Amino acid sequence: MPAFPTYGPEDIAALDEQAAAMLAVFAARGYTRHEPAMLQPAQIFVDRSGEEIRRRTFELNDPSGRELCLRPDLTIPTCKWQVESGAPYPARLCYHGLAFRHRSGDGPTQFYQAGAELLGVEDSAAGDVEMMTVAVGALRAAGLKDFEVKIGDLALFATLVDALDVPAQWRGRLKRHFWRSGYFETLLTRMVVGAASDAERAIDALHGLEPAELRPAIEALLDKEGDAPLGMRTREEIIERLTIQASDGAAPKLDAKVAETIKNVLDVSGPAPAALEQIRILTKSVAASMAKPLAAMEARLAALADLGVDPKSVRFVAHFGRNLEYYTGFVFEFWSRDESGPVEIAGGGRYDTLLESLGAPRGTTAIGCAIRSERLLAAARRGK
Amino acid sequence: MSEPLTLAIPSKGRLKEQVDAHFAAAGVALKQTAGARGYRATVEGLDGIDVMLLSSSEIASALVGGDVHLGVTGEDLIRENAPELDGRVALVKPLGFGFADVVVAVPRSWIDVSTMADLDDACAAFAQRHRRRLRVATKYTQLTRRFFAHAGISDYRIVGSAGATEGAPTAGTAEAIVDITTTGSTLKANGLKILEDGVILKSQAQLAMSLTADWTETMRASSAAFLKRLGARLPA
Repeated sequence: MPAFPTYGPEDIAALDEQAAAMLAVFAARGYTRHEPAMLQPAQIFVDRSGEEIRRRTFELNDPSGRELCLRPDLTIPTCKWQVESGAPYPARLCYHGLAFRHRSGDGPTQFYQAGAELLGVEDSAAGDVEMMTVAVGALRAAGLKDFEVKIGDLALFATLVDALDVPAQWRGRLKRHFWRSGYFETLLTRMVVGAASDAERAIDALHGLEPAELRPAIEALLDKEGDAPLGMRTREEIIERLTIQASDGAAPKLDAKVAETIKNVLDVSGPAPAALEQIRILTKSVAASMAKPLAAMEARLAALADLGVDPKSVRFVAHFGRNLEYYTGFVFEFWSRDESGPVEIAGGGRYDTLLESLGAPRGTTAIGCAIRSERLLAAARRGK
Repeated sequence: MSEPLTLAIPSKGRLKEQVDAHFAAAGVALKQTAGARGYRATVEGLDGIDVMLLSSSEIASALVGGDVHLGVTGEDLIRENAPELDGRVALVKPLGFGFADVVVAVPRSWIDVSTMADLDDACAAFAQRHRRRLRVATKYTQLTRRFFAHAGISDYRIVGSAGATEGAPTAGTAEAIVDITTTGSTLKANGLKILEDGVILKSQAQLAMSLTADWTETMRASSAAFLKRLGARLPA
């Protein structure tokens, strides 16, 4: 695909036909089609997706100076519509349209996406099954016969970090970065060694103080900085963070054995049933905590089997979390092959904090999937 | 006559003075082109070189875009214009002046933040608490994105800054900044501190060559003759 494709009559007819087939699958399950604007206010994507997506987003200013962007995905505007329209939950929304992303090199800067969003379903397990059913149904309706499934669960790793003996102030750090290979290993090593920065030395100095002495001590440290600015971070925010860190007992250090367990769990990757068994063995010291997320994963595997997906084609990858920051739990990808090798056809997962951040009531769940139309078309043609 | 080789040098400021001094020391004399109001010159004794006086940032983007063949400007500006130098700009010779560091600085009152990892924690906590991302003011958008990505920080947003970036946290338009500093005293005066591992780039003035410009054999020859006077050579 060139960077700025023109679809010829044959291709656009095939894409239209494929889209109609997928949208029919969505519609049959009660998903109503929405078409958000292509041009969106940039802010909402920046605030939800972070700089990683922003660097791939085409931004522009309108004559009045407003910051706009070409939608890099349809999930965020679709969810925003749901929240702002005040429509009832649970909600089933779907879409088919262009998304735009900058690519280094000569890749296409736009692509069609078909997707479905299931919002506000309280029973998460049922939501997971429904979304997999919808995704598999859409792929099959488009004529795709062979595909592999890659699954993971960010909640499983979060549960592990919470269950293991990890210094409180480092838990968030580990959860945020577990998918970044290389960086994460360095992070673990640094934690085992126990790095000492100015901030950490400041915290060291606060250790051993009684809770009653802690706050005045932190206030005194802050006062030493006089009238230095704070930005929008409040004084209270800094005091809170330091209080948590200083209350953690001795200078934080990660037990080498705990680091080893984390590393080994993240290395697990392979056919799903065997991979889950491996995780169960590696985490038996915290088996009680891990029982729930492992059972949830097994239920999803059973659902895929019920859908007629060959269990041998399902891989569980422990470090799989997708580099889109709004995912919070179960994640999945469907893979096929084209001339050049394996290619991701569709992806999706659970993002239980996105709707709240857009203004929905706390705890409004969400799971969705997005299918890459051009890639699906190529793979389906090849499989014929 | 064939197209001349174009050389861009700073048109004003401290960098211009330093470039003039450097050229003079190497025996390179520039002669102003009549009627060009000081924005055009030639090199005495070397034919086929058209010297253009531009602002430092214009020189960087002209090098990257292939609008000039050679240029003298800050490495920070070149790298900001072309995060991947490969195939676009070759740094021919560091000139030994115009030293400055591009750094990440945060308010000194953030006593819980002294490294990029701390900043990462603070960004994540900030996003959770304020339902918006911590703002980093800078004119070095590209350098900042790359450096923050490398440090694993994603819970932040860049706000463009055209000048006086160091005042942004005090003015309330950003929480942290990425800016250039030589001694650190301006940052200090504004109540900021540089993160321990927050040096993005140690920059200085560079004599650089555009790889995207059209190069003829004649231009290569003029270029080699000019660079030789400055004690540099054209990269292969």
